[in-house]
Amino acid sequence: MKVQVNADMCEGHAKCEKAAPEVFKVGDDDVSVVLVDEVAPELVEKVERAIRMCPRQAISWAKV
Amino acid sequence: MSAPTLKLSDINLNDPELFEREGAHDVLRLLRREAPVHWNPGGEVANGFWSITKYDDIRFVSRNPELFISSKGIAGPGIRPEALQSLDSGAQPQNAGANISIIGMDPPRHVKMRRLVNKGFTPRAVNAMEPEIRRITNEILDKIDGRDELDFVLEVASQLPLAVICGMMGLEQKDWALMFDLTNKVLGSGDPEYQTEVPEEERGTSAAARATAMLGVGTMMEYFRNVLEDRRRNPREDDLPTILLESEIDGEKLSEGDLLAFCFLLILAGNETTRNGISGGLRVLCEHPDQKAKLLKDMSLMESAVEEILRWVSPLHHMARTATADTEIRGQQIKAGDRVLMWYPSANRDEEVFEDPYTFDITRTPNEHLAFGIGEHFCLGAGFARRELKVMFEELFRRFPNIELAGKPERLRSNFINGTKHLPVRLNSGR
Ligand code: HEM
Ligand code: SF4
Repeated sequence: MKVQVNADMCEGHAKCEKAAPEVFKVGDDDVSVVLVDEVAPELVEKVERAIRMCPRQAISWAKV
Repeated sequence: MSAPTLKLSDINLNDPELFEREGAHDVLRLLRREAPVHWNPGGEVANGFWSITKYDDIRFVSRNPELFISSKGIAGPGIRPEALQSLDSGAQPQNAGANISIIGMDPPRHVKMRRLVNKGFTPRAVNAMEPEIRRITNEILDKIDGRDELDFVLEVASQLPLAVICGMMGLEQKDWALMFDLTNKVLGSGDPEYQTEVPEEERGTSAAARATAMLGVGTMMEYFRNVLEDRRRNPREDDLPTILLESEIDGEKLSEGDLLAFCFLLILAGNETTRNGISGGLRVLCEHPDQKAKLLKDMSLMESAVEEILRWVSPLHHMARTATADTEIRGQQIKAGDRVLMWYPSANRDEEVFEDPYTFDITRTPNEHLAFGIGEHFCLGAGFARRELKVMFEELFRRFPNIELAGKPERLRSNFINGTKHLPVRLNSGR
């Protein structure tokens, strides 16, 4: 599965990085970037948590 | 203080006195249990509205900003169309769809406008500002050093957020007191204490509230018209009015109305909520001496203590939305055009989300409270608010560890702002 961050919404709160450091990294411009192309199955739960916790609700699964 | 006789049919969350006397938690608990999506009938002037009291439902409403819009009013139930005609037009700014900038704006324009300033509010910006926040805090505390009893709201809690946001706006210190007064008039318009320009015998009426809000809004607009005029001639390095003046959306400069509204919103939103977080926080810590002692012993608990304060206090009682299409929540039929009020204190005591929600626990984890909302309109100033609370309590308890309450708090009459107007405290500095 692919996950995406809406850069218009993201404001660098870094909750995503805390929840799933393997998948998200907040860059110098205070916008989170997705580090992986595909989210490994064992990380799905962590990503779900990031999606839930993001204050701006900027993270979503990419529709295929 | 549970009221055993409380019945669903008696419930009216549009009663500001219920919140003034701190009776709302009993009502909200009952609603969560028996009618989590509850139709609150209107009155002669006020609209009826839906009360949303469950954590998950408040998330749902917040996360669907096109289905539940902000542009038809963000505070209170709004005025019935019939009643509106007999009032002076636009009498109630937050109801009449007056321009209150991003907080009353919908997608897609909302995020474009928000992005003009949001870089000034990121964690990076907050970190950069922390030394200044600490310096201001100590300046405030210097002024009370050596005193015995004082009003914590007026002399401490209100002063830090005022200085921070006025500083970001580049306002001269001599004007800060005016900003304090106008914020009270606009956001506390329903409280007789702030209806100073209304004849005494008329205070406490809804007409007095409208007149007070109008006066506050009018004076604030006039003030910022002058600020903008000044910055046009003398742009500054990085104050918010200058940034806004130089900004464009889709190749167009902001209109005077948008500029004024943005300045106005920043002053209002940055002030009163944080003030009430600080005063409410001190109060709840003093009322739970074991928790205060625990914090004093280990100040590394401060960040989680601040989160628990925010959950416990919920400085904003609600935000409002208007449905744009028929929708069902928990079996209730919400119609297009219906007003919906999200009760944050209720989400933050939701038994299905928080363990022992009525226990104040500064080590609570997880603590995903909704005091700042979530999603599209998530509080722009949350980072600053959190840091202001943290630094204030660090410095306050470092200098006055024995501070205690010295009388009853006087509460604001409002179902929007969870306000404390006065909080008598004793410093007990051992002199
Ligand atoms: C403890 C203090 C604070 C609390 C509890 C608080 C709470 C909130 C809440 C609940 C909202 C969401 C509104 C919605 O969903 O409709 C909001 C929005 C907002 N807040 Fe705060 N706030 C606080 C402090 C601040 C500060 C210090 C600032 C500015 C420096 C600020 C600026 C704003 C702005 C500009 C918005 C509108 C955001 C938008 O609509 O996109 N707030 N606040
Ligand atoms: S939690 Fe959300 S807003 Fe914060 S950095 Fe991650 S994606 Fe961005």
